[in-house]
Amino acid sequence: MKTTLQTRRQFLRTSMLGAAATWTLPVFLEKTFFALDAMAADALTQTLTGKDGTILVVLQMAGGNDGLNMVVPYADDAYHRARPHLGFAADKILKIDNYLGLNPKLTGLKALFDESHVAIVQGVGYPNPNRSHFRSTEIWQTASDADRNISDGWLGRYFDNCCTGADPTVGVAIGEETPQSFAAKTPTGVTFSRPEQFRWRTSEPNNGHMSAEEMFFRQLNESEASEESAIITTDGASIGAIPGKAKSDSSTMDFLQRTALDAQLSSDKILAIARKYKPTVPYPQGRLAASLNIIARMIAGGLPTRVYYASQGDFDTHAGQMNAHERLMGEFNDAVTAFVADLKQQGNFERVLLMTFSEFGRRVAENANGGTDHGAAAPLFVLGGAVKPGLFGKHPSLVDLDHGDLKFNTDFRSVYGTVLDRWLKAPSEKVLGRKFRALAIV
Amino acid sequence: MQKWNGETAAHLLNRGAFGSTAGEIEAARKKGLAAMVHELVDVKTDAANVPPPAWAHPRNIRAQRMEIKAAKNRGQNFQEKAREVHMMESENILDLRRWWVERMMTGPAPLLEKMTLFWHGHFATSVQKVKDAYWMWLQNDTLRRNALGNFATLVRKISRDPAMMIYLDLHQSRKEHPNENWARELMELFTVGIGNYSEQDVREAARAFTGYRVDMTTQQFRFTPMQQDHGPKNVMGRTGALNGDDIIDILVNKPVCAQFIGRKLWRFFVEDEPSPQIVDAIASSIRAHNYEIRPVLREIFSSAEFYSDRVMRTQIKSPTQYLIQTSKLLEMQLPSPIVAQNAMRQMDQILFAPPNVKGWDGGKAWISTSTLLFRYNFASYLINGDAMSPANAPQHCQDADLGFRCPTQLTEQIRRDPIDINKIIPAELREKPGELVDLLSARLFQVRPPDKETNAFVRYLEARKPDTGDETMRGLVHLMMSTAQFQLA
Repeated sequence: MKTTLQTRRQFLRTSMLGAAATWTLPVFLEKTFFALDAMAADALTQTLTGKDGTILVVLQMAGGNDGLNMVVPYADDAYHRARPHLGFAADKILKIDNYLGLNPKLTGLKALFDESHVAIVQGVGYPNPNRSHFRSTEIWQTASDADRNISDGWLGRYFDNCCTGADPTVGVAIGEETPQSFAAKTPTGVTFSRPEQFRWRTSEPNNGHMSAEEMFFRQLNESEASEESAIITTDGASIGAIPGKAKSDSSTMDFLQRTALDAQLSSDKILAIARKYKPTVPYPQGRLAASLNIIARMIAGGLPTRVYYASQGDFDTHAGQMNAHERLMGEFNDAVTAFVADLKQQGNFERVLLMTFSEFGRRVAENANGGTDHGAAAPLFVLGGAVKPGLFGKHPSLVDLDHGDLKFNTDFRSVYGTVLDRWLKAPSEKVLGRKFRALAIV
Repeated sequence: MQKWNGETAAHLLNRGAFGSTAGEIEAARKKGLAAMVHELVDVKTDAANVPPPAWAHPRNIRAQRMEIKAAKNRGQNFQEKAREVHMMESENILDLRRWWVERMMTGPAPLLEKMTLFWHGHFATSVQKVKDAYWMWLQNDTLRRNALGNFATLVRKISRDPAMMIYLDLHQSRKEHPNENWARELMELFTVGIGNYSEQDVREAARAFTGYRVDMTTQQFRFTPMQQDHGPKNVMGRTGALNGDDIIDILVNKPVCAQFIGRKLWRFFVEDEPSPQIVDAIASSIRAHNYEIRPVLREIFSSAEFYSDRVMRTQIKSPTQYLIQTSKLLEMQLPSPIVAQNAMRQMDQILFAPPNVKGWDGGKAWISTSTLLFRYNFASYLINGDAMSPANAPQHCQDADLGFRCPTQLTEQIRRDPIDINKIIPAELREKPGELVDLLSARLFQVRPPDKETNAFVRYLEARKPDTGDETMRGLVHLMMSTAQFQLA
């Protein structure tokens, strides 16, 4: 058996360059090699990996998070008038200044804020806000204007523009479905809920040692290069010329084989890291905490990932919001607090930037059912060891409203653009189509 | 006349239908190319007269909304009613997916279903916004009835289709504030393509489509002349008091429209990157046939290009194709509706919920490390049964999506027995690895794979010796399906 725990780059270097016979490379590996080579030559777009690179963690709050009860304008009379039942009394609030404070459940976030690790961007949104979950999520995921439909995601375009030839684990989403923000012409990134799921499962029960099926599966994927070059160097004949064989559009076949190899190598790496690195700090129960726990382990293990994606659901609080939103804020706070503690322990907090977002905020006025309806602008958090702390943007007026909703004053693409330019060191204009005003958050 | 043999027959049935069993391929080979194309393309009109699922009838959305609102105003718990409606919708859309996939699998007119799928991707509409399975069924029925007919007629029907109108906000377009969403996508995605119209055209066309409404009681299209903008408009050089149908005529009469549709058809049935010459040829065929789809398909399936080496077995199977063709190749039952739905979701093609108005990109976009690994593991579930244990079932319980349920409810629905391997492996070949691998290669790939693969399959059997039991045989089939070759049709 060949060694299975190696990166594709190592694999290429050792198996291919070691052979020093590039003309015998199978087409799909040759292309990969040239892509890597071109990338290495261009220091500007070189992908930082391993222990050096900066990392972005995107945390989606799905369903429309009530921004007003997350970052609360407790000193605004209009807030209390609009929310006689849902409004927090000033003495409950974790005060930031004499106007704003955090939801009482966000104790860990408040401590982080006081340590100067949190930026709060206020009034984030976009022109002509859409109040459909589906559509507004799509706008955030693709970074499109509200009246344009784009299929590629903003992170997918980042991978396309900046990480060609990079390891497929450059983007890792924790969940069942790949987020639309990862969508790209040539999909990059891996998605899994649990590391042990992201592997090829054999038909036979696992009895501790590798089955014949798995052994030959690995051969099918991995030994491609060495076997073919061996044949070519021995008899000099072109393999494709043997009649009666499956001949296919070589680029499609190359692409499939390369993806299979990528899957195999990523899967081995992810599993090995998941087995080796266990969290040293306690994480609470819940899906978000489990996702952040996996991400922390992947970071500890040095997976060459630039962007991680996690999500928390159930923010669509049309009724009975008080308990529901409190539970969500608590879950968010506890999970993020554990994650940050873990990263600090690892010594990786300086390398990681966590950004939250939700498709929209909620209506300023509460409804008759102790809930709130779909709204527009809302605040988001950007936190990390290297963040420039404080409040950014203006808090939107609670009386000058658009159909009952807060008016945005910071385009969400300003946040994306800043993160791309200053954190991921990628040209935001290429990814977002134009330049947006930068924020001093990093 | 094209060369006609088992390989080309299988190719026609892969692309023009959803694949075929070994017996169907042999029958097709005997019938000959012309007869097979005729059988696929010239389906009787009543093939589209498909009885709807039992629940698919209007249920007066307005009354339901009033009921919820009334409960709300009375201060009662309206959530229960809302949840009930939501649950019913989840059940219905799940059933609609089952209903359609079964038609693709066993229906008498597979090309009709495949073209319906083509148009579903073309006029992409998602239940996530439409939120009513009846409207999704109604659109599916409209697509099927016109799938092989006239393109201009289909566009006119789609402009009056409630699901599409809701999806692109046409039903809310007022003459004081025409909504441009439908008008823009009509040009950009449905007819002429980007770069072939101006912003002015979009604005003027939006005015022409005012007055289109959906009656929420009957749930049908209704035209409201009072809401129509009767003023003069100028679209692509034509002026007058144009209405919606006039706009569609203007667009369909543009030669670029035939190119746009022709290219898309060719990509769907033949190859990802058609040459400009091919696009021109198919566009002129579309114009010559006055946008009748049936004769165009007949020409595609009879063309030399369709059977050329660069085309055969080079198309990455869509998840729909993967699911149905695999069921045919292994001569097995489809997985349960809930499993099929979840699997399609993880392979990135949820019927009735395309990712956006552009539909599915297809081709290489189907394959990422995650979806490829999922295909390999899904193959194991299909062959061996319960590999998808409840612990691996989806975790979303309160998901905003319609139609995904809690894992606790799933246990019974994901139960699956291993396939009957004797259906595809004759007993006398179990002891003959070389012959067995050749036989299965012909079935699964319809071609002999490169030696490297063939050798690995044979060596697997040798390594398992003396065990030639069902488990070993299923392991072989799984190994063969866990290859790049199996992803191609």
